[in-house]
Amino acid sequence: MDFFNIYLPIAGMQFNVLLLLLIGFTVGVCGGFFGVGGAWIVTPALNIFGFPMPYAIGTDLAHMGGKSIVSTIRHGKFGNVDVKLGFSMIAGTTLGMELGARLVMKLEHLGVADTVIRKMYVVFLAFIGSYVLYDYISHVRETSRAAKAGAPAAKRDTFAQRLHRRFRVWPMVHFKASGVTCSLWLPIAVGFTTGVVASVLGVGGGFIRMPALIYLIGCPTLVAVGTDLFEVMITGAYGAFTYGIKGRVDLIAAVWMLMGAAVGAQMGTVAVKYVRGYSIRLLFATTIFIACASVLMKQLELQVASSIFILSAGILISGVILSLLVRGVMRERSERRAAPELGV
Amino acid sequence: MSGIAKRCLVGVARAALAATVAMTGTAWAAGGPPATKLINVVDTRGQSGVGLSIAQIYNESFLQFGLLVVVVMVVQGMVLGFGMDKAMNLLGLDLGKLSHHE
Repeated sequence: MDFFNIYLPIAGMQFNVLLLLLIGFTVGVCGGFFGVGGAWIVTPALNIFGFPMPYAIGTDLAHMGGKSIVSTIRHGKFGNVDVKLGFSMIAGTTLGMELGARLVMKLEHLGVADTVIRKMYVVFLAFIGSYVLYDYISHVRETSRAAKAGAPAAKRDTFAQRLHRRFRVWPMVHFKASGVTCSLWLPIAVGFTTGVVASVLGVGGGFIRMPALIYLIGCPTLVAVGTDLFEVMITGAYGAFTYGIKGRVDLIAAVWMLMGAAVGAQMGTVAVKYVRGYSIRLLFATTIFIACASVLMKQLELQVASSIFILSAGILISGVILSLLVRGVMRERSERRAAPELGV
Repeated sequence: MSGIAKRCLVGVARAALAATVAMTGTAWAAGGPPATKLINVVDTRGQSGVGLSIAQIYNESFLQFGLLVVVVMVVQGMVLGFGMDKAMNLLGLDLGKLSHHE
């Protein structure tokens, strides 16, 4: 295994290339599938294998920008990226993050920043995971009830549709890829809110933005994934720059991780083709609960256990996603082979 | 000016405007805790090739290094993105537009 060790000049240490490829691949699969950056896997994974923490964050952000480019290209070809919506949200996210940073400074001044932020993180993760899981369970119940009755499931207005009807403030904009027409102020407001939360929690915000796009804007799940990755691409590029000019990126480590992430991201992105939107939501809810458990373990001072847990869980989840991809590819191929025989 | 050239110019202008909006906005949009500058010098002894070049740029100027990071990540992302895309197409799968089934 020493054969695969390389010297990272900026971090000033030897590191196993296979580990970098594995970490990159794992987070690439998850990121391409869920539309998140994956910092909550990468940073603890790098740190637990000896990577100095100041460099783990910057190196992760640097490779995240590149990885998101790979996913966004593929999601774009799938028609899953709503560029207009992405830019509208960035305008709000910008302001939200600035307000979030000022809130954190206020909390620090009051001496309660650590306690409040840690509790908020757990509460938010638990809330998001629970809501997405509740939504999935409701959908499954509704569908099976309709199937037993032999009738199609009743189409009910979603929360997003009710919000769009009540909030009709000029200018009204049609977002083509999402198939949504709403006030421009709505995505700006959603971006602002997610920006505040992400800034206070000190995260990129992908895991907040993706469900916000689904439940508040009304995007289809696949468009929420693709559009979220588009935003992560832009913020990741800026993160790479800001941490680079502060000397906190090990470029060689980022290059190797990105090689693994590129393969993983492509596979994770193509996997969405074979999975229905609600199944993606179920897996997303599971991942959020795992992240919540990992944060709880950290709060109980079980840092090492938390890092091992989150990395193992990440590998397991990417294994599930890859199995969905393989199953889908095999099904598509057998359908294609059967099609000529049927004279189709 | 021909129609195609005009359309290209309009496209470039739109992209430049969008990039300006995005980049000024991302000053606040990037996540993660704020990073303070480190006083760090990389040991270049015993290094060669790409590693040495990167270390020298790092020691010389953090601004140059930051720009290098962005350029490398973006170029690598785009090359790998289009490359992996081509590789996926070789599997013979239908990778066109998806229906957004829930």
